[in-house]
Amino acid sequence: MRQQLLSLLLLACAAMIPTSAEVPSLIAIQDARIVTVSGAVIEKGNVVLNRGIITDVGPAAAIPKGAWIVDGKGLTVYPGLIDAFSTWGIPEAATAAPATGGGRGGAIQVQITPGQAATPQATPARSQGPQDRPGTNSWVKAADLVKPTDRRLDQARGAGFTSAVTFPRQGLIGGHGAVVNLGGETSGKMIVEPDAGLHMTTQPSGYSGYPNSLMGVFAYFRQLWLDAGHYKLSRELYAQSPASVPRPEYDRALEGILGARRLLLPASGPIQLDRMTGLSADLKTPAVYWGVVEGYRMADTLKKAGASVILNVKWPVKERDTDPEQVDSLRTLELRDKAPTSPAILAAAGVRFAVSSDGIDAPRDIIRALKKSIDLGLKKEDALRALTLSAAEIYGVSARLGSIEKGKIANLIVTTGDLFDDKTKVQLIFVDGVKYLPPPETPQGPAGGFPGGRPGPTGPVDQEVR
Amino acid sequence: MKLVFALALALPVLAGQNDSFLIRNATVHPVSGPKLDNASVLVIDGKIAEVGAKIATKAKVRAIDGKGLHIFPGLIDSGSPIGLVEIASVRESSDTGEIGEFNPQIRALIAVNPESDHIPVTRANGITSVMVVPGSTGGRGGGSGSIISGQASLIHLNGWTWEQMEIRRGGALQMTWPAISSGGGRFGGGGDPDSMPAAMAARRTPFSEAKRNQEAQVRKIQELFESARRYQQAKTASEPGFKPDLKLEAMIPVLEGKLPIMVFAAREREIREAVQWAEKEKVKIVLAGVRRPGKMTEELAKKNIPVILSSPFTPPLEEDDPYDEPYSLPGALHKAGVKFAFASFGTQFARNLPYEASQGVPFGLPYDAALRALTLSAAEIWGIADQYGSIQPGKTADLIVTDGDPLEIQTQVKMMFIKGEAVDLETKHTGLYKKYLARP
Repeated sequence: MRQQLLSLLLLACAAMIPTSAEVPSLIAIQDARIVTVSGAVIEKGNVVLNRGIITDVGPAAAIPKGAWIVDGKGLTVYPGLIDAFSTWGIPEAATAAPATGGGRGGAIQVQITPGQAATPQATPARSQGPQDRPGTNSWVKAADLVKPTDRRLDQARGAGFTSAVTFPRQGLIGGHGAVVNLGGETSGKMIVEPDAGLHMTTQPSGYSGYPNSLMGVFAYFRQLWLDAGHYKLSRELYAQSPASVPRPEYDRALEGILGARRLLLPASGPIQLDRMTGLSADLKTPAVYWGVVEGYRMADTLKKAGASVILNVKWPVKERDTDPEQVDSLRTLELRDKAPTSPAILAAAGVRFAVSSDGIDAPRDIIRALKKSIDLGLKKEDALRALTLSAAEIYGVSARLGSIEKGKIANLIVTTGDLFDDKTKVQLIFVDGVKYLPPPETPQGPAGGFPGGRPGPTGPVDQEVR
Repeated sequence: MKLVFALALALPVLAGQNDSFLIRNATVHPVSGPKLDNASVLVIDGKIAEVGAKIATKAKVRAIDGKGLHIFPGLIDSGSPIGLVEIASVRESSDTGEIGEFNPQIRALIAVNPESDHIPVTRANGITSVMVVPGSTGGRGGGSGSIISGQASLIHLNGWTWEQMEIRRGGALQMTWPAISSGGGRFGGGGDPDSMPAAMAARRTPFSEAKRNQEAQVRKIQELFESARRYQQAKTASEPGFKPDLKLEAMIPVLEGKLPIMVFAAREREIREAVQWAEKEKVKIVLAGVRRPGKMTEELAKKNIPVILSSPFTPPLEEDDPYDEPYSLPGALHKAGVKFAFASFGTQFARNLPYEASQGVPFGLPYDAALRALTLSAAEIWGIADQYGSIQPGKTADLIVTDGDPLEIQTQVKMMFIKGEAVDLETKHTGLYKKYLARP
């Protein structure tokens, strides 16, 4: 027993060593190649981080006294990458299937029952109409759900991701996403922006009854927003004259609708995009479209609409173990062939796009997917921008994230070379100015975590502990 | 026209015998040979006695003037649940699809409802006989997953009871060849048509697993045939302790080659497997529901394996197939020398069978071949060509008298004879038509 305990302890220590290091709050990366994204590449320069903020960057940026120095010779510094449509940080979403947005297929099933997790859930009654608020989780906030203990964060950081825009996704209206940093000791420290937008799908899931059709879903959304408008008015009226106006009932679903600054709408192809641009106009709320699998056919419409999109970069491929006599349809072949060209086509059309980890298990594969697009004509700068500044711009956090500039959050990665070169390794990761090391490159368990399947130590070693 | 109609109705009264008559001055299409203008057909006691330009009537039979009319053999629907299914979506009116993988002992004939409203409607377009299939052809009946659904029976579409309707009780054994089904269907599983990723992500069975399932089913078929052979031996040897078993008993005519197996197989792979299996088991097969025979087309011609085609009014099998893929199939089979017939495999649209057959004509099928498929070829395939399928002396007088080509949709069937008896051509539709025409 004791031996077992000892070996367990040893294992824990061994696992902890690579990610732990003493890091002061003042850091300078010296003589590195700096890819700022917002400006020109600095072939040789310094980046200074202080208390989680980039305080200086440039070829001759002064190294403050007492700074912890990273010798950047031969290394490249990039802004930390952003997964613009994610579930990272929400541990319950780890095992769920990717979002599909419409039609059949698995939907993310995040169990969201705060306060009643222990009580057995009664079978929900069949929804009969909009009054039952079917599949509506507009009061759910990713900011309340994220946890630094999500096992996926370590892998994500190891691939160079320092931020994610993460969404609860159950039901027609999944809830509010949050821009989170993929590091920090507490949930609260992870949050960069708690209101990133409201996740929506047209896929009936997570409820039964009305609406059970596409037209039903659209009618429901319209009614919901009308209700929210009315709710707002009656609340204002009541605030003005509480003595004479009956007190309106508090409705968390409508509160959540009113708080939405943007909608995350599914648009896998041109037809769905057309429907969704109409919906966005009807609901008088700007939208960001996700999915965009057929982006190569959608560039003109998106440009005209001035819309931004989050691309799903899990490029469709032929499934394994299929009937050898089955002939794939031209439509399927075209999709497989052209989907990876979408980024280049969108970039050429001037459509702003970011990328999503949807359906991708290994975060490194997001970069590999974009490499494929680069080979098909996407400019490397555009690919990098999609992973960084464009994502920040789409969610209105570009003043804080997405590039290496003075005053931005100190999220950056130090690599051995070009990000899109498969041989390149991420050597150091800074999240909020805190240094992380990539997880050891051991054969990964099924959970993609640590050997033995235990949740690995995430986060840095607390300086106070040292 | 009205006169002819009245005459037809008045026939039984006028004629001395119900099943004897002479039609004069008509265009006769015997199918077995070239058409005869201004010819006559003499029917005595339900049999065709003579066909020719001038017939000297010794017998005292009633004569019908066939001026401007055409005589064809009655059309044959080579597969339909008619009489077993009234309204496919109403379970109570659907008598097909017994539960169980192997039911060779089931006979369709005994369940045929002679009062079915579909019978007169189907007759109205010239169909005089049908191969009634016991297996489910869709709708809300059971029997999905069934491999041998039972014995199909050949019937006349006329009679007070199913006994009177019978042509052949055991017409064929209905069987579905197990297919490897791993795909998610035509668009990979359906779903929102504008949502490609969802459609592509549709759940499917891995091929290796689907193949294992299919092989297990094929083994079950082989096991059934093995037990049937053992049973046959035990029976002939009158082994002590021999126990009669209806299921295995029903297999004996199959093993003896007396009862053909109507094997449903749509694609090349299933067709190849079914053909190889039949050769190994030395049983006679007729393929049904064939859609994409591919390289097997020549094989079928060489091995003399006939084919029953279903309605061409269906989308092509694959998304990228040409629109005319189902229309061109009969022509291609004909060109390769494969014998084929047509089947409705349904009740409410069984009446459209002649038009389904003619759809192949603009797409490479010679007209005569289309007509033959509905008559003589069908009779040959089902082994009843000695009595049915053409207008030749000695054959049963299943005849239709029309004002034109029965494969044309405008053509009216003016008279119908089954076993020489005039058949009422009134249908539910004509009844309602008359009723509302007379509404004050």
